[in-house]
Amino acid sequence: MYRWLWQRLPGGTAGKTACAAILAIAAAALLWFVIFPWITPQLPLDHVMPGG
Amino acid sequence: MRTVLRIFGECCLTAGAIVLLFLAYLVWGTALAASAHQHDFATQLQRQWRTHRDTAPVTTRLHLVTGQPFAFIRIPRFGQTWRFAIVQGTGLAQLALGPGHVPGTALPGQVGNFAVAAHRVTAGNPFYRLNQLRPGDDVMITTAAATYTYQITHTELVLPGDTAVLDPVPGHPRQRAHQAMITLITCDPPWTGTHRIIVSGSLGAQTPRTGHHG
Repeated sequence: MYRWLWQRLPGGTAGKTACAAILAIAAAALLWFVIFPWITPQLPLDHVMPGG
Repeated sequence: MRTVLRIFGECCLTAGAIVLLFLAYLVWGTALAASAHQHDFATQLQRQWRTHRDTAPVTTRLHLVTGQPFAFIRIPRFGQTWRFAIVQGTGLAQLALGPGHVPGTALPGQVGNFAVAAHRVTAGNPFYRLNQLRPGDDVMITTAAATYTYQITHTELVLPGDTAVLDPVPGHPRQRAHQAMITLITCDPPWTGTHRIIVSGSLGAQTPRTGHHG
């Protein structure tokens, strides 16, 4: 999976590394700012209200 | 076969990394967001209260707007720097900002039950140490009008379905309140929803707010 991705990244080793880093950061940002805030209320985590 | 195994391994590693990132988000991400809101709330309240004092006598009526702060809570046992702005409402959106006032319960200093719920963990862990409070401990609530000091009377562990703790006279749904009480609520054990810690107190002193506060 990652090898397949690596082969499709443009440029030499340096370009591929930079590109991979950008992709990884973008994926982490998507998780952190969009997916995690959305999923947290759906989980049975730390529910504090009586009756809730 | 080797390809299948390799892909499986890569998926496991990816899932592990996502779980770790999610834990980091719960511990630090939610705390950072809450801390930014708390900072804004403190500035907002201090500005509002200063304006009040300059223009007119402080009204004792509070304007409660869901998601907006109206008071500070301080608990000396948690340290001198422990202070949170209480917002109106206890939906997840409000609890992500800080401790929330349970709608429909009394206001600070009023006869009845002033109920405040907060996260045990996440959002800056406001009530992380609620289980350490003991009878006699002070809880100070500062509004535009005054600082109300409640003394803890007892603590208990209840099941999530027990909403009687929110009654004007906690545990007695039909009784009329004659006393100003406070109820602090969080979950127990941390991270779960299996039980609720309930800390109850009654109003001791109240001092009109002076130039400096909380």
